[in-house]
Amino acid sequence: MLNAYQLLLRLYPAAYRAEFGEEMIALFEDVRADVDHTTVAARAVFYVREIAGLVSGALRENLHFRFNAPDVSFFPRRFTMRNGFRFPKATPILMAIILAGVILAIRRGEVIATSLPPFSQPVTPIHPPHSYLLPGVFEGFIFFYAAGLIGWAIVFALRRSGVHRLTDVSSGSK
Amino acid sequence: MESLPLSEPVLLILMSLAGQPRHGYSILKDVERMSNGRVVLSTGTLYGAIRRLLEDDWIERFDERDASRGRQAYCLTAHGRRNLQLEVDRMKHLTRLATLRAATKES
Repeated sequence: MLNAYQLLLRLYPAAYRAEFGEEMIALFEDVRADVDHTTVAARAVFYVREIAGLVSGALRENLHFRFNAPDVSFFPRRFTMRNGFRFPKATPILMAIILAGVILAIRRGEVIATSLPPFSQPVTPIHPPHSYLLPGVFEGFIFFYAAGLIGWAIVFALRRSGVHRLTDVSSGSK
Repeated sequence: MESLPLSEPVLLILMSLAGQPRHGYSILKDVERMSNGRVVLSTGTLYGAIRRLLEDDWIERFDERDASRGRQAYCLTAHGRRNLQLEVDRMKHLTRLATLRAATKES
């Protein structure tokens, strides 16, 4: 996990990394040592919070260092700062099942590909799955990240507009 | 420049540094303790706030004799302490006003 943390840290501007990188890694190791003795759910929340904090922090710092942009937050504060965020307990299990399904599908595809009879005429070689798996995961992450942000913005806008209060009022007046 | 009113995490970080110089881990734990576990900062969020507060001269690096590698301590500057006091005064005023208004409504 430390390697993943260091990898994500590379998203930050070089000047920022030079100033705070070493401290952040040391702090991450300290906090992770505390969390290692807790439940799986607490560890999952910790890792999600760290990843979310790092990604949003990297975007913010890049905008700040490159364009001198004012500081903005890319994640709802509740998500990056509060432990009120709760995973449904089944989430890690479902994620593990989905991951196992993807790995099995890739393996099965490889087995089928190697068991097919050879063609008599030359065919275009198939690229191994790992050559496009990582870019695919990256694109998927960007897609779901953007979709999540748009969804959150819609919910945020609706709440700010007071629509939910109108519902409360109408149901309360009955 | 951080302006008043401060966000809750920034206020808690400043409160944490008001008593004594602290390094990152100590700040995280103190913020969590002060907020009864409600505010738990990630490392990215904490150092984003520290970078802004350093730039605005609200906090500064504190040289510890026995500081180990990767554990830089920070402390409040006079400017930061003054702004923290302004924020506390603002909140006191609001609390007093809210208490008065609530009492008026009840009576």
